Amino acid sequence: MDADSDVALDILITNVVCVFRTRCHLNLRKIALEGANVIYKRDVGKVLMKLRKPRITATIWSSGKIICTGATSEEEAKFGARRLARSLQKLGFQVIFTDFKVVNVLAVCNMPFEIRLPEFTKNNRPHASYEPELHPAVCYRIKSLRATLQIFSTGSITVTGILLYRYQTCQLWIE
Amino acid sequence: MESTYVKIQLFSFSLDALPRVTCPNHPDAILVEDYRAGDMICPECGLVVGDRVIDVGSEWRTFSNDKATKDPSRVGDSQNPLLSDGDLSTMIGKGTGAASFDEFGNSKYQNRRTMSSSDRAMMNAFKEITTMADRINLPRNIVDRTNNLFKQVYEQKSLKGRANDAIASACLYIACRQEGVPRTFKEICAVSRISKKEIGRCFKLILKALETSVDLITTGDFMSRFCSNLCLPKQVQMAATHIARKAVELDLVPGRSPISVAAAAIYMASQASAEKRTQKEIGDIAGVADVTIRQSYRLIYPRAPDLFPTDFKFDTPVDKLPQL
Repeated sequence: MDADSDVALDILITNVVCVFRTRCHLNLRKIALEGANVIYKRDVGKVLMKLRKPRITATIWSSGKIICTGATSEEEAKFGARRLARSLQKLGFQVIFTDFKVVNVLAVCNMPFEIRLPEFTKNNRPHASYEPELHPAVCYRIKSLRATLQIFSTGSITVTGILLYRYQTCQLWIE
Repeated sequence: MESTYVKIQLFSFSLDALPRVTCPNHPDAILVEDYRAGDMICPECGLVVGDRVIDVGSEWRTFSNDKATKDPSRVGDSQNPLLSDGDLSTMIGKGTGAASFDEFGNSKYQNRRTMSSSDRAMMNAFKEITTMADRINLPRNIVDRTNNLFKQVYEQKSLKGRANDAIASACLYIACRQEGVPRTFKEICAVSRISKKEIGRCFKLILKALETSVDLITTGDFMSRFCSNLCLPKQVQMAATHIARKAVELDLVPGRSPISVAAAAIYMASQASAEKRTQKEIGDIAGVADVTIRQSYRLIYPRAPDLFPTDFKFDTPVDKLPQL
């Protein structure tokens, strides 16, 4: 058992998903015609706007709800969201920046060793679920932190969740 | 084995003032009943007192070697009410003679009245399950288990929005797993109209709903089925089982699905013996892609001499095995 709690595992946040509301109805057609870097998906009813500075893709609905993905950190997500609201304001909508909420954070982490999935699943029965035919990773759900970890046999782990204090990862590994 | 059946005989009654018959000569004597003749006989003098009493013996006798379908002592259908509750209704069957059809060719007295309308969907699902299981020749115990699982899921109603067929397919998959004879998702897919993705989703949901878990699949579970489908002799099958088990033990194939490993092992074993099979054939049977077998084979090829069982007779020696 590698008691590697001293070794700092670099855990990188790769994606932050957030939502916010502009308290006004948005005219998607106008945004599609006048906005820069937009894609109008008429069949679904939304506009995709991509920003370059914080690399963000935002899905804008006509009701005023906006989902913002692709940011690398929470502050960046907030910057990007504000910048987006500013650009919508410039287009002429009375935008009020409300209800900003981080919905999902995705991070990856790499273990220096490989992991034997069948044994791991047997030892962590209720939390881990492994279905080799469906997905090559073990899906480990931690209820207390409301996080889901996908553990691959190469040692790389994908962590999804809202709170991201996952540094006690080391203690779980049985190899 | 005889079953009881009450036979009511017609007999004329002379209403006695006394509720019980007694022998006129011996009023205290307890009458003996002779059920064969239907008599009540006084043991003291042998007078036949009561006549034509009800015979509670069975009318027909059924023996255990008789056809189970035709049991003249039973009334009603032999469905088990454990699964579909409340089975005591009468249905109008299809007509047999010519008189049962009216002028257009439709049958008179049509529509068998809907019985158990509350569980109509469940009955449909059971029928679907039986059809699916029949296609892959699953034994009755798996079908029963599937029916039970479906009933539990259906009563829970947590998966109510999902298509019944999808839940039925997933229940079938779980039942096969639980009985120790797992079928791959692709095999279940082949007999069902539901996509593998949907079956997989329902599978996870059902496990959560019923709060059960299933054992992991191993390579050995599929060996006998795949090998017999490929008409491979017993030695090749045993060799393939050995190879696959060894490969997993030595962790030569991390992260590969056990089906792919099994397919690669069968390929290696068959190539080493007289009965060679191509990757395409094995891929067809196992539901694994050609390239996947190739990938897994490349992983186990370096250790090939260690993986074979010690008493294996090589038709093609180990160093001559094809290298892909």
